[in-house]
Amino acid sequence: MRSKQQEVVAAYLFLAPFLITLALFFLYATVRAVFFSFTDYDLFNAPRWVGLQNYANLFREENFLFALRNSLVFAAVVTTLQTFGALVMAAVLNQRIRGLNFFRAAYYMPSVTSSVVITLIFLWMYQREGLFNYLATQVASYAPQLGVFALLLIALQIIQVLIERTRGYPARWLDPALFAISFLVAAAATWLLTFLGILLPRDAEVDFTWLQTSQEVPGAFPMALRAPVPLIAIMIQNIFTTIPTFMLMFLAALQDVPKSYYEAASLDGATPAQQFFSITVPSVQPVTFLVVTLGLIGTLQMFDQVAIFGNAVPIRSVITLAYFVYQRMFPGAQLPEVGFASAAAMFLAVLTLLIVLIQRRFIRSEAS
Amino acid sequence: MKRTTALLLASTFTLAATPTFAQTIRIQGYGGQDPAIVQRLLDEVIGADLEAEGITVQYEPIETDYNAVITNNLSAGTAGDVFYMPGEVAPGFIATGKALPLNDLVDTEPFIDSLLEVYTQDGQVYGIPKDFNTLAVFYNQDLFDEAEVEYPSADDTFTTFTEKIRAVSELDDEIAGACLPADFARMGAFAYANGWQPFNEDGSVNLSDEAFTTAFDFYTGMVTEGIAVQPSDVGAGWPGDCLAQEQAAVAIEGAWILGFLRDNAPNLAFGVAPLPKSDTTGERGNFTYSVAWAVNADSPNQEAAVTVLEALTSEEAQQFILEQGLAIPSREALSNNPYFEEETPEAQANLTIFEGASDGNVLGFQFGNVGTDYLTPLNNAMTAVMTGQADTQGALEGAQSELDAIIERAAQ
Repeated sequence: MRSKQQEVVAAYLFLAPFLITLALFFLYATVRAVFFSFTDYDLFNAPRWVGLQNYANLFREENFLFALRNSLVFAAVVTTLQTFGALVMAAVLNQRIRGLNFFRAAYYMPSVTSSVVITLIFLWMYQREGLFNYLATQVASYAPQLGVFALLLIALQIIQVLIERTRGYPARWLDPALFAISFLVAAAATWLLTFLGILLPRDAEVDFTWLQTSQEVPGAFPMALRAPVPLIAIMIQNIFTTIPTFMLMFLAALQDVPKSYYEAASLDGATPAQQFFSITVPSVQPVTFLVVTLGLIGTLQMFDQVAIFGNAVPIRSVITLAYFVYQRMFPGAQLPEVGFASAAAMFLAVLTLLIVLIQRRFIRSEAS
Repeated sequence: MKRTTALLLASTFTLAATPTFAQTIRIQGYGGQDPAIVQRLLDEVIGADLEAEGITVQYEPIETDYNAVITNNLSAGTAGDVFYMPGEVAPGFIATGKALPLNDLVDTEPFIDSLLEVYTQDGQVYGIPKDFNTLAVFYNQDLFDEAEVEYPSADDTFTTFTEKIRAVSELDDEIAGACLPADFARMGAFAYANGWQPFNEDGSVNLSDEAFTTAFDFYTGMVTEGIAVQPSDVGAGWPGDCLAQEQAAVAIEGAWILGFLRDNAPNLAFGVAPLPKSDTTGERGNFTYSVAWAVNADSPNQEAAVTVLEALTSEEAQQFILEQGLAIPSREALSNNPYFEEETPEAQANLTIFEGASDGNVLGFQFGNVGTDYLTPLNNAMTAVMTGQADTQGALEGAQSELDAIIERAAQ
């Protein structure tokens, strides 16, 4: 019994540093914020109880409604795409291919790079004279070449496969050896046509405004379902940086899936796509739950990218709930609206909790 | 025996006196290049005199979001005894009640009135402007010579200025006439020249006023016509970049561009002219951008803090700052400073910028308790027009409704 007690004491002693920090900076801070959300506290005058006034005012604030819409759209789109992308990438990296370690390291790079640095780099790429518009311009200018190349490629492949089949060989439509020949011949033919001046690059210029715009898409949707273009820019960047982290989790889960499942499936003639959806997806379900939960929490509380994009874009197009809280906390030429900001923060916390609870009903946390 | 007693007595006095006088005054301001400047100011100009009075000064720069950090510090009682009060957020700082009213403590007489006004509320002065800046036209002389166009001058109006920009833009497809950001902090000066005020008497804003729309069209029109570019169009961070990289012949900036050009384009032959005059009023407009020193009302060493503030804004301090080409002094008397007579482009630029503060319709860069939120709808409208996403009328109607909401919000 004595040793048992000692063990308990020892356990709490080891936990103490963490528990104290948690109590001080999390529990105490949360309780204070909850209290402030019912007051008109401004950091400089004693808080005065205002009841639910702050919460009612939230919904009268236009920026809050924009922030709510942006946060929800952002969370829905980013969580879906990053989960799917991470799973696909993990499945690919789970194959036995040459240079596997290189790819694992390379794919993980975006996640270990500082998000501030990445945001700044993306900010440059989204400029009107930036990389994205440059690439789009190149594609648009060489559209005739690309089109002819694609047509030739398909035509050559079909012809070759048909020839093989008439000879009685079982050639698949995407046979790699035939594809390589089609690719080279199509590329050479396109180059020749361009060289002879039969195919000319078009004089196209893509001038898409990614950031300095209040445009929302798709225009046909009601306001509440549209995504502002600058927010989409942040989405792309966010998906790019978060996929690798989640990929790592899926990769760990995939190590536990017996290879024999896949072997059995191939023997039964299942295509890679069928294997992916019937074996990979169900076996990593607990991790999918974790990834979706972490993804939702992370995306609903997204702040840093907005703070950096902030000055370059119309604020309504990118404001999120977390940024709204910060903005009301330090409104510039006025006293801080601590009470109001706390109410918004509480709303965000409850919303996050609710959404996570709802998604639990759709993705089970244990493997079947 | 007597002498020893006297000596003993004297040393006792000194010993007793030293602790009451040896005080450390903490001052808080921006990070970036400011720590080096303030440190030099302390070491080379005012530090010795303060030391003689038993005051040691310690500069504590705030490298991140200055307003957020200092607001927290003021609330928590950890702010410096003396601190920066940026003009555009001064109403917020004054509202905290933590800035000491200085009327009875500091002689405000020698400072430029329009600058003091930014830090004045209900007749009380809460900050002493440490220096200031206004806007001027910076141009690349070689490009104008090559295009055989007359330099921008003090006689220019919006119309003649546009003509010169157009003429110089025809020189080379790769070089724009001017580099203009979608920023009310530039364009607003031209609206002021037309006699427009940022707030009507009842606190509302009127963007459909012709005084505003003609200035808006003048500024954005140069970009939509293709004779000027936005910095982001040419991959530049700001107009100073455009000028340094010879991507544009003209930039409308303040004295802060001087240090940048010195470092990034030392061989650029640049000239400076006052902003063009309004076609209708014949007046110039301008912004004054300033930062003040304020004293923490909770400071335990208030007296010493005031002494430090006085030293920081003294003539010697301002003379030093001016001669280093860092900023323009906020004291009226320094307008006769021999430095302004020098023929160097930098001295001439500083003179033009100094004179800009008292030429025509000049307002502090401040928007009441609306703060810099005031700028957002206007900047968005300018962007929309300059990138061809909207026309002036549509963009300004949207901006008007956004601004109305912001002002209503701030009034609560």
